[in-house]
Amino acid sequence: MLGFIIQRLLQAGLVMLAMSALVFLGVYAIGNPIDVLISPDATQDIRAAAIRSFGLDLPLWQQYLAFLGRLLSGDFGRSFVFGTPVIDLVLARLPATLELALASVLIGAFIGIPLGIYAGYKPESPAARGIMAVSVLGFSVPTFWVGLILILFFAVHLDWLPAGNRGPTAEFLGVQWSFLTREGLTFLILPALNLSLFKLAMMIRLARAGTREVMLTDTVKFARAAGLSELTILRRHVLRLISIPLVTVFGLEFGSTLAFAVVTETIFSWPGVGKLIIDSITSLDRPVMVAYLVLVAFLFVTINLVVDLSYALLDPRLRRGGRAS
Amino acid sequence: MSLLEVRDLRTHFFTRAGVVKAVEGVSFSLAKGEILGLVGESGSGKSVTGFSLIGLVDPPGRIAGGSIRFEGRELVGLPAQEMRALRGKRIAMVFQDPAATLNPVLSIGQQMALAVRAHGRASEAAARDLAARTLTRVGIPDAAARLDAYPHEFSGGMRQRVAIATALLHGPDLIIADEPTTALDVSIQAQILAEMKSLAKETGTALVWISHDLATVSSLADRVLVMYAGRIVEAGAVGETLRAPRHPYTRGLLDSLPAMARPGEKLNQIPGTTPSLLSLPPGCPFAPRCPRADATCATDPPDVVTAGRLVRCHHPLEAS
Repeated sequence: MLGFIIQRLLQAGLVMLAMSALVFLGVYAIGNPIDVLISPDATQDIRAAAIRSFGLDLPLWQQYLAFLGRLLSGDFGRSFVFGTPVIDLVLARLPATLELALASVLIGAFIGIPLGIYAGYKPESPAARGIMAVSVLGFSVPTFWVGLILILFFAVHLDWLPAGNRGPTAEFLGVQWSFLTREGLTFLILPALNLSLFKLAMMIRLARAGTREVMLTDTVKFARAAGLSELTILRRHVLRLISIPLVTVFGLEFGSTLAFAVVTETIFSWPGVGKLIIDSITSLDRPVMVAYLVLVAFLFVTINLVVDLSYALLDPRLRRGGRAS
Repeated sequence: MSLLEVRDLRTHFFTRAGVVKAVEGVSFSLAKGEILGLVGESGSGKSVTGFSLIGLVDPPGRIAGGSIRFEGRELVGLPAQEMRALRGKRIAMVFQDPAATLNPVLSIGQQMALAVRAHGRASEAAARDLAARTLTRVGIPDAAARLDAYPHEFSGGMRQRVAIATALLHGPDLIIADEPTTALDVSIQAQILAEMKSLAKETGTALVWISHDLATVSSLADRVLVMYAGRIVEAGAVGETLRAPRHPYTRGLLDSLPAMARPGEKLNQIPGTTPSLLSLPPGCPFAPRCPRADATCATDPPDVVTAGRLVRCHHPLEAS
């Protein structure tokens, strides 16, 4: 197990190295940040001084190596635009996105999995058909539209929930969180619901497909022959048997929501990293873009590692180096 | 009073292609502690008969008629909750492939505890204790320590013992065993057979042993039912019936056993294949494959009962 973790950590390091190089190169190709940062009527001397101060006069490979060198000492560089350390900028925004992403994935899982299991258990029932219709909608209706409708209905029409922003937060472990205050929670609900719709649809489909398959197996027949109630069979046998694909998708969805909740964050003016990256792209704020994308790679690698480790927890056949029969 | 009285049982599958009469008019009875062999080819309806007894016929199938009386109580049409209360408690079932029946992601102890608690409250410790004692009874050494093991850590024979122990947990009066030794090695088969037989005798549990293997049935059962195309074609005490079969189909099954043939001689096969249950010929369903068939076989064959033996045939073989 330890060997497995070490191997995965080395892989993770390589992935992030490759990611940083790609991002550095890609961002370099987008355009020259100086054109955006300095007013066109600045003198040549001012231009040259600015270019030198950002280290943009060096060849690309030297800029990259310098970036890597600083990275190893934990320094992501300073934002061209704000002049503050990038890491502070990103970390100030990350908790907002983190709780939004987590809330949406949890809503998707806790509502989607039971609905999906039911739809797989009684596939011909009208309720199951209704559930599947919801999941088709969840897949096909665009996020931004649903977000606007949610705002229109719950914020404007009913005036139950705030239309945007993050609202009050409370500190926990040195970080500001919305879900810890009652009012903060009301700000979290709409964007989290908006983001969760796609995940909900995904969880429903996965749980349904798995359940349909498992219900036909002898394991379920044998459990029935032992007199187990249908609810016990679904909760104790079926849920465990279908959990591996569910956990996989849960992890992937959590990762991609963390990285790409941009649309929802924009609609609900949620001050998360998604908005930060969009702003940094428009202003060609290269250090922020690079740091953010490397961080995203890190999150994905970490989440995948956790998912892999949880497989062993869920399926005993994968433990002890996969001594399966 | 007999433990089980099955009268004119009909289990049909309502498929898009038509009604498949998997079991059509099966009647038999079973005494307490008796071992009944249910024999036939694939598709003869023997497994469906077993599943009908325990109320687990999968849709689109259902019991279309007849009666199953268990200790005088009618099981056909029994509410689902009452049927569930009987399953595992009074009537248990063991399946063919233990690798498929046991849940691979739950420990043996967890699975057996679920089966214990399906019929009443039991503390964690009590459930584990009962599971361990039952596992010891079916010949699993060091059972208490193995409760935390998972199915893949057991051999095929041991897995089937776990499944049998799960069936035995509540001391049922009837166990339906659907080819429980077919997936096992021959040496393990013999062990399991011997153990099942002694367990049944010791606890007074009746056994319905479903198998296509006549050799297994002859060494285990008290009585045998031979099924063909959803019907019973011959029934009787196992010794007599297999020594001197009266139905041509039973004769054919016996002749196709390698053990019955002389070395170097060709095996006698039954010509043709089992008919589709969707398009059975009128009269005797075995007639198209039967060496003794003639025009009268196009009418329903009579039940010929002599000295406790039943044969359903126009032209039964002479009792020797």
